[in-house]
Amino acid sequence: MALTGRTGLLALLGAAVMVIVPSWWTLLAVNALVVALVAADLALAGNVRALGLHRSGDTNVRLGEEASVSLIVENPGTRRLRAEVRDAWPPSAGATPRSATLSVPPGERRRVDMRLVPTRRGDRRAVSVTIRSYGPLRLAARQLSRRAPWTVRVLPAFPSRRHLPAKLSRLRELTGQHVALIRGQGTEFDSLREYVDGDDVRSIDWRATARRSDVVVRTWRPERDRRIYLVLDTGRTAAGRVGDIPRLDCSMDAALLLGALASRAGDRVDLLAYDRQVRARVEGSTRTNLLPAMVRAMAPLEPELIEADAAGMVSTLLARVRQRCLVVLLTDLNAAAMEEGLLPLLPQLTAKHLVMVAAVSDPRVTEMATARGDASAVYDAAAAERARADRSRVTAELRKYGVEVVDAPPEDIAPALADAYLSLKAAGRL
Amino acid sequence: MTAVQTAPPAAPETARQVAHRRWRRSRGILIVLLALVIIGVVLAALRPKVRAEYLDPDSPGQQGARALVEITRQHGTPVTVARSVSAAAGAVNSNPDTLLVIARSERLTSTDLATLRALPGDRLLLEPSGDALEALAPGVETDGVTSGTISPACPLPAAADAGSIDLIGGQVYRAPAGATQCYLGDGRPSLVQLPVGGANVTVIGSGGPFTNERLTDAGDAALGMNLLGSRSNVVWLLPAPPPPGAGGQKSFTELVPFGVKLAVLQAVIAVVLVALWRARRLGPVVVEPLPVVVRSAEAVEGRARLYRSRGAGDRAAMALRAGALERLTALLGMPKSAASDPAMANEIVAGIAAHTGEPQAAIGAALYGPPPMDDAELVRLSGYLDELERQVRSS
Repeated sequence: MALTGRTGLLALLGAAVMVIVPSWWTLLAVNALVVALVAADLALAGNVRALGLHRSGDTNVRLGEEASVSLIVENPGTRRLRAEVRDAWPPSAGATPRSATLSVPPGERRRVDMRLVPTRRGDRRAVSVTIRSYGPLRLAARQLSRRAPWTVRVLPAFPSRRHLPAKLSRLRELTGQHVALIRGQGTEFDSLREYVDGDDVRSIDWRATARRSDVVVRTWRPERDRRIYLVLDTGRTAAGRVGDIPRLDCSMDAALLLGALASRAGDRVDLLAYDRQVRARVEGSTRTNLLPAMVRAMAPLEPELIEADAAGMVSTLLARVRQRCLVVLLTDLNAAAMEEGLLPLLPQLTAKHLVMVAAVSDPRVTEMATARGDASAVYDAAAAERARADRSRVTAELRKYGVEVVDAPPEDIAPALADAYLSLKAAGRL
Repeated sequence: MTAVQTAPPAAPETARQVAHRRWRRSRGILIVLLALVIIGVVLAALRPKVRAEYLDPDSPGQQGARALVEITRQHGTPVTVARSVSAAAGAVNSNPDTLLVIARSERLTSTDLATLRALPGDRLLLEPSGDALEALAPGVETDGVTSGTISPACPLPAAADAGSIDLIGGQVYRAPAGATQCYLGDGRPSLVQLPVGGANVTVIGSGGPFTNERLTDAGDAALGMNLLGSRSNVVWLLPAPPPPGAGGQKSFTELVPFGVKLAVLQAVIAVVLVALWRARRLGPVVVEPLPVVVRSAEAVEGRARLYRSRGAGDRAAMALRAGALERLTALLGMPKSAASDPAMANEIVAGIAAHTGEPQAAIGAALYGPPPMDDAELVRLSGYLDELERQVRSS
């Protein structure tokens, strides 16, 4: 039950009656009238409990874009429903309008259109629908909150997709027009063609040359159908915000670009999100549905404020992949976490696989390192130098194990990782 | 679905729409306020104007009564002006053959009225208040107001001789049996004369006819002079306004009418109802677990603050030197390990000196010297290292 302002106004009018007819009976009569009118209004208000609530609309929306979800209110009763309807969503769903006024004749339906502009990645669930059904006098209303479940999955924004065309054209250079003449580990025989000046004499195929009058060379191309395993670290280091976005979101962006690129290059891409347990996994996707599958798997991921379990992650990986693959680990070059966790276990991984570590560096540290002027700025700079030294020490350690390290600020991490992948592919090291 | 409602417009409102919406929302309140102001102004305009000089025997203003008093004096009846009840009592007691004229009796307290009642002699009450009427002319009660010019129609010589007068807006009375009633409007007298304890008490419902402004109208002057000249002496009592707070035996709650108390009670009920209206939310508050906000550089900033609070200039200098050395060796084309190798110190210093022209001793002190003593030295050191780096880079 809810009252309206009119009830208060009615009671206030009663105050004027008191002055004209001053008696306790007047007081009683006026308030009895107010109570009676409120009771009558409640009795005549449209039934809320019997209403049918239905939903339709978007279930996925990319972060920063707009989704629309409709709420359909069906009135099976015999009285007209005059109501204020609030479709409650969590604040980060960015739902508007806050409430809508509806008038539903008996046996009919009305639709309320909600616009959602989410401000955060993840699943946004509709909380409840509150309906305040007014009586004909609008003195009082029946109010009830009902469940009308609906979930909108807010997908990662993937802002680095604008880099994709440039990287794809580089990829085409590698695979198509530009064939490699060097045989490497990750290359396969492509074709035979006539020798032209400048070709490496070592690539001359003497057997084919003997069969023809011309000198023939063998060409090689980067091998296709390699396997790439993207590993997202969702532990505590992923929670740190670089600029205003968590490191995890930057890593996701980079992983999406690399996934899109590698799947076009004909490689198989798998994804694993891990801290102390498997948070998300995408395996065995086909080329066309890889990206949607990755995006959907990533959407609900949140960084956990716990130390990631590197040993568990390595054993999970080793258990799942038998053939040689490129393991791309998206984490942070945090000296303590790396030295305790991953570094001792690297030999197990590098023995069989090629490992690449991609880390997002914080521009704030770079900014602090150049701070000068007074003592506090210089202390800032000293602390930043110390952090950079730690980071470069970890990088050097990793490289010693033959690990590729990509360390870039958030806006560059995705293209830098894609470039690193392309150069590995060009060199036939996959 | 039989009908589709397009819920609120998606387009943002224009300033005009916002203004229109606000106007529609607030116009009810504005109309009520405007009505209140208009009613107040009208009431203020209708209210009879009683000025301070009203019936003041010394005032020559329009509302004063000096003309009547002066004429009476010229006709041989001395008029004493009393500004307080004690002065009036003194004047009356010194000459019992006195007519006591009481004007502005609303200024009298109940004590004053008791004093006046005990005085001998006749009384003329001009527009008496309810309390004064009750104390000084028992049995006479107010019974509405009169209008228009009325003829005396009574045996009282003072009135009969004066003829009809204009008593518009004055009070009319209900008089007890035995009282002389004059100027009857709808059967109710505006002037009543009755004996009280052996003296004549005359009550007239309006003092208007005796003001300077209206004294020349109709029979006003004649009536006034007839009434005042009935005794050998006149004491005109115009009590000064009582000081604030005097005579307030009744508490505030006793003075407030019962209806107003009930109205206040009803208003409280209305306020409670309004509070209930505002307190009821449209659905529960939505709670949402939000991710923690941890800035990535927090640990680095924390370390900087620790350095500062402990004054760890040595640690800070070590970090700055290590960073500068790493970059300088890279610029000089030396292997990476050189930066942390003390054996290479001389070679590095010589290399930098060759590029910058700075003295080797200064470079050596900056890169490998003792830690700075205080913050100022640390700031100078950082500046010098920057300068070295810049010169090597540009050379």
